[in-house]
Amino acid sequence: MTGFKLEYETMKSEILPPISLNLNESHTTAIYSDTDMQAELIHMLLNDRDITVFDRSEGLYERLTVGDNITFYHKWFGCKTPLPEILVLFELQLCANKPLRKCSQSEIARVYYAKYFMMDTYPKVFHEPIHGVDIKTMNTFINMLKKIADDKTPALILVSNIEHALLLSDVAYRLQEKGLHEIEIDAEEKDETTPEDKPTSTLTTAKLFKIPAKIDDKVILFDPMEIDYIESQDGKAMIVINHESFTLDSTLAEVEKKLEVYGFYRCHRSYIVNLQKVREIITWSKNTYSLRIDNQIKSTIPLSRTKIQGIQDMFNLK
Amino acid sequence: MHTQRIGAIFEKDLKDFMKNMMLLMMPIAPILLSIMYSRLGDGEEIPISMLYIIVGVTFSAVTSSSMMTMMAEENEKKTLRGLMLSPASFMDIIIGKSLVVALITAVSLAISLFLMGIEPFLSAQAIIGLVLLFLFFLFLGIGIGLFAKSIASTSAYIMPVMFLFGFTPMIEFLALGEDSIAIKVADAFPIMQLINMHDTNSWVPIGVVALWTIGAALFTYICFKKERTDD
Repeated sequence: MTGFKLEYETMKSEILPPISLNLNESHTTAIYSDTDMQAELIHMLLNDRDITVFDRSEGLYERLTVGDNITFYHKWFGCKTPLPEILVLFELQLCANKPLRKCSQSEIARVYYAKYFMMDTYPKVFHEPIHGVDIKTMNTFINMLKKIADDKTPALILVSNIEHALLLSDVAYRLQEKGLHEIEIDAEEKDETTPEDKPTSTLTTAKLFKIPAKIDDKVILFDPMEIDYIESQDGKAMIVINHESFTLDSTLAEVEKKLEVYGFYRCHRSYIVNLQKVREIITWSKNTYSLRIDNQIKSTIPLSRTKIQGIQDMFNLK
Repeated sequence: MHTQRIGAIFEKDLKDFMKNMMLLMMPIAPILLSIMYSRLGDGEEIPISMLYIIVGVTFSAVTSSSMMTMMAEENEKKTLRGLMLSPASFMDIIIGKSLVVALITAVSLAISLFLMGIEPFLSAQAIIGLVLLFLFFLFLGIGIGLFAKSIASTSAYIMPVMFLFGFTPMIEFLALGEDSIAIKVADAFPIMQLINMHDTNSWVPIGVVALWTIGAALFTYICFKKERTDD
């Protein structure tokens, strides 16, 4: 299995650690990092090699229709796939006669995907590809990634949202000052090593149960029902409520044990979800799943393949 | 050069031209102007210099200006990013656009001259003159389009082109003395040379216009080199 090697020594940049990463031809790789780090990385990619980063920031021809745009790019890049197939692949057949300036953000995003798909670049690097698009569009993007992998072109996705990283990629990495580390996905439970909890509290205290999170010198007590979900970052559990997150002192496994009785479910190696707040179970085309949370920002969190059965049992779904 | 790409650009820009009100008004302007001029004449024959004013308006307002606007729009909206993977593909873009401009110019000029009386232009010499003049204005348009960063700035750039090269015959109306420097300089300008050609029937003016065209081509080449190194 060959691929494309990304290798950077750290010199020019102060915050970017040295990176050495092999992009596999038949895998999609994602790098998750904060936006500052991401900007540095993109800068590096653009400077050192002739890599094009697809970030949907260049213009399209707004006066022309979707169909005209696609026809032009199809001809210009000399794409082998027939034009109607491209339109269907990106679900653009229904808006083909609509001028681009009247299209929704998601439709325009699909035109960008089609353009990037037809471009003959190696490797393909995407920057925040599914930011602010609807579910149908995310699905076309996932389908496109599958096609790219079939064409033996390595794909790299740069995101600042870990849910997107886990959803889109086969191999996801977290980029921090310390370096590039793989985020394990869907691995079998390895948390067995966690020490047994102290004897669980009695029934009376369980009723008063609150989750303490420390911020500076304050301790905030959260009611389990407030919590949207809990994610794991660097071995520490983080409570997420809308867009705020609060670090806990315990590990995810410990929290899971305490919260099980309140209707929390370990839906992924690094996520515990509050089942009361789950609004949708989304099935993506490559047999992956996400849960949509009923909060203001409609977060989506990953649902492991191995955990789907548990959820279905829980909600009596078949 | 890549005919498939040139074809793609040509098709795309022609469609875009038809949907762009700003560009669409340009070829209509000389036609309206020639309707007006042909009414003014009261059936008398229209002087050659009048015909060349129309030619000048067409070439400056349609050829140079549309070329500039089209290229400036691509620059402004960054639509070319990712399309130009090699310098050769940039040539494809310019050629494709030039073909669109050539088509529109030809249509607009033909209609205008039919309205005004096309007879003086039905000689090989006059047609060669017009083709050279077209190339001259086209090169000016490409050159300026290369460094124009926004559509708004093109309206400033088009002014000198229009007044210096498009409206040169108008200088007669300024009532300057016969031997004033301005008139002598203006006489060397391409449109004035072509007017002289109709009087004298000599080939020298064609040569002078060809020199102007080569000059404009050089100007375009310099702009091109400069743009490439800037990136």
